[in-house]
Amino acid sequence: MPSRDAKSSAAFGFYTVVEQPQIGLLGGYLVVNAAGRPLEFHCTAPVKPTRAQTILFGATLEPYLYGEHIGQALIRKAETLATVICTDRPQALAVRQYIDAPVALIVGEEASIRTSIATPSFTIGTVRLAVAGGFTGDESLVAERIALFAASMPLAEPFERIRQAIDEAQRGER
Amino acid sequence: MNGWRWTAPEPLAVRSLTLPEAASCVVHTPLSLAAGEATVAPEAIGELRAPPRVVSQRLWGSRMRLRVRSCKFPQPSESLAVPPVIEHVAAPTADPGATPPSWTRIQPPTSVVRLEDRLYYVLQPPLELVFVERALEFPFHPFPYQLEGIAFLYPRTAALLADEMGLGKTMQAITAVRLLLHAGQARAVLLVCPKPLVTNWQREFHAWAPELPVTVVEGDAARRQWQWQLPDTPIRIANYEVVARDREVFDRLAEPYDLVVLDEAQRIKNHASTTAQVVRSIPRRRSWAITGTPLENSPDDLVNIFEFVSPGHLNHGMKPGRMARASADQVLRRTKDQVLKDLPPKLFRDAEIELSSAQRESYRLAEEQGVLRLAEMGEEATIRHVFELVLRLKQICNFDPATGESAKLERLAADLEEVADSGRKAIVFSQWVETLETLAAKLAHFRPLEYHGKVPGTRRDAILQQFRDDAQRSVLLLSYGAGGVGLNLQFAGYVFLFDRWWNPAVEDQAINRAHRIGAAGPVTVTRFLATGTIEQRIDQILQEKRELFDTVFNDAQAHEHSGLTQRELFGLFKLKCPTGPIRLAS
Repeated sequence: MPSRDAKSSAAFGFYTVVEQPQIGLLGGYLVVNAAGRPLEFHCTAPVKPTRAQTILFGATLEPYLYGEHIGQALIRKAETLATVICTDRPQALAVRQYIDAPVALIVGEEASIRTSIATPSFTIGTVRLAVAGGFTGDESLVAERIALFAASMPLAEPFERIRQAIDEAQRGER
Repeated sequence: MNGWRWTAPEPLAVRSLTLPEAASCVVHTPLSLAAGEATVAPEAIGELRAPPRVVSQRLWGSRMRLRVRSCKFPQPSESLAVPPVIEHVAAPTADPGATPPSWTRIQPPTSVVRLEDRLYYVLQPPLELVFVERALEFPFHPFPYQLEGIAFLYPRTAALLADEMGLGKTMQAITAVRLLLHAGQARAVLLVCPKPLVTNWQREFHAWAPELPVTVVEGDAARRQWQWQLPDTPIRIANYEVVARDREVFDRLAEPYDLVVLDEAQRIKNHASTTAQVVRSIPRRRSWAITGTPLENSPDDLVNIFEFVSPGHLNHGMKPGRMARASADQVLRRTKDQVLKDLPPKLFRDAEIELSSAQRESYRLAEEQGVLRLAEMGEEATIRHVFELVLRLKQICNFDPATGESAKLERLAADLEEVADSGRKAIVFSQWVETLETLAAKLAHFRPLEYHGKVPGTRRDAILQQFRDDAQRSVLLLSYGAGGVGLNLQFAGYVFLFDRWWNPAVEDQAINRAHRIGAAGPVTVTRFLATGTIEQRIDQILQEKRELFDTVFNDAQAHEHSGLTQRELFGLFKLKCPTGPIRLAS
């Protein structure tokens, strides 16, 4: 079990992508401390693939956008290294191959697991999670690093903050 | 080569597709997508039979950087002079994996303009999680509307919390202060309140923020000087008189207060008063005002409170509707009807009393003589003269000056018998100490307790405790002035307004001593009204004032009634009067 010091200095990342029909994809990445308080926030400008891009990327488009294009750009921008990065979008597990930290999918009603991307789910407390396929060691890393945090903080909650922050940023743009 | 070529700036995996009509197309995609399957429809390629030309299109890549907006947030200072909170992880009451129906989130006020600053608030965890994480314990779990009040106060540098009495403004303010201190956003807070409420605030701080040291500024001048200068004092409580007396302290402050909170902020509604001037001069970064009656007589009351909260934000002469819109982001006002659906009902009984024959005769004589005198004075008659007559007539409605007869007393005594027999407790309000003393003598068999201006401050807490705990002491005689605000008397099931105050807000304050959170059952309010007298005419004026209050705080679209006019006041006695608006004494 992590020590209290380790817990207090740990940082956790939360990454999600919002789809807005007229605007495109908006990525948001929130880094919080062990108390759930925000340390950093990064969000992207809207990404809207062209028709040609959609055609040419085909089935690889979503993993590319969520993983490499948006996710990697956001997470590399952060100065604080998160010990675990959580996402609520199954496609975003694709970011794992570009970063060192384990990525955990919080499996909710909307985040049904795509077996091609994620390994079978596991639980921490009452929360069901999955990690990226091909990174089987992540399961134990995630369990070790996030258990204490998950005991007091609902892991799905920060995504709502990110969505509100993206909305706020979008309002600022207009 | 026939076809089209797309180039990407990264190492590429080259994949070839055979297109219909024997045209060929080479598609370069980033290496990472080697496993992907691109499907190219003919229409995407364009006119295949066109003359061969090369079109280059760049796909996403490392040189086409995605614009990312970034914010970093300050972390709580560790040097805060608050005892460290023992960090622990407590299991939330709800399933941590499930999102509860609603979190209470801090929303940035409209005055916060910079996106980074707005995001700082938007990205804070909901209050429920902050409480759990910081191990902030409470005597009872706050109601949802109270959490909203805390979330309203916390991010604001200028705020007026104007909840109806009894909704827990005190705990909302204390909890918001507590969060600011723990977040390192405040280090020095000054709370100013009426003198009788100092001990109440101390008690409430002890209950709602027991880890915070509170210093009450009191005693002789030397002691107060020492208390004002104490370092590392996160919370100071001072009454209005002390603040006015020690005004020079604020000229010498090395640092402004991070927050100044005014309780019962209607105390500064008189713009020119010394208290108002001193309070406005206190150097501060945040200004919060708390009052259940932000508007007692006219919209100017609110303007003057705002001269502390956010100077210049409201102006004299603003119409109530415009004032409501202009102050909407700084004011939070909820009524019990809106937020406490489960609070026991408040039952009003208007007890219309026929004066006794002796009272009626005294009243008739006094009114005739008074009106005659006012008429003779003509243009010399002032509001003060009118008020003197009103007060005289109201006193006669209470007791006949010659015989001591009182129709109200007879009715009150009968009602109190019933109250005492049922084991309940009653509060009786009057605006006059003399009336309360007379009632105490005439109702001696009930062993009533008294709480008014003549009762020393050192005895007051003991009186309230006795009223609460002693089953034999079922009646408390209270003056509007001493007992109208800040007292928690929710164990009383009956309130009697022996005479009526000048404005409904003060009456509401009085009633809500009993009708507040914790009330075990319905609260019955009996308003005595001597028929055919000045009391009935005043009642009509009070009704008009309620309409004014509703215009500013409840319904911005309501008709903009501007309150009393001098004509209406003189009209109480059907007298001709000068024109122009006036203010009633409160």
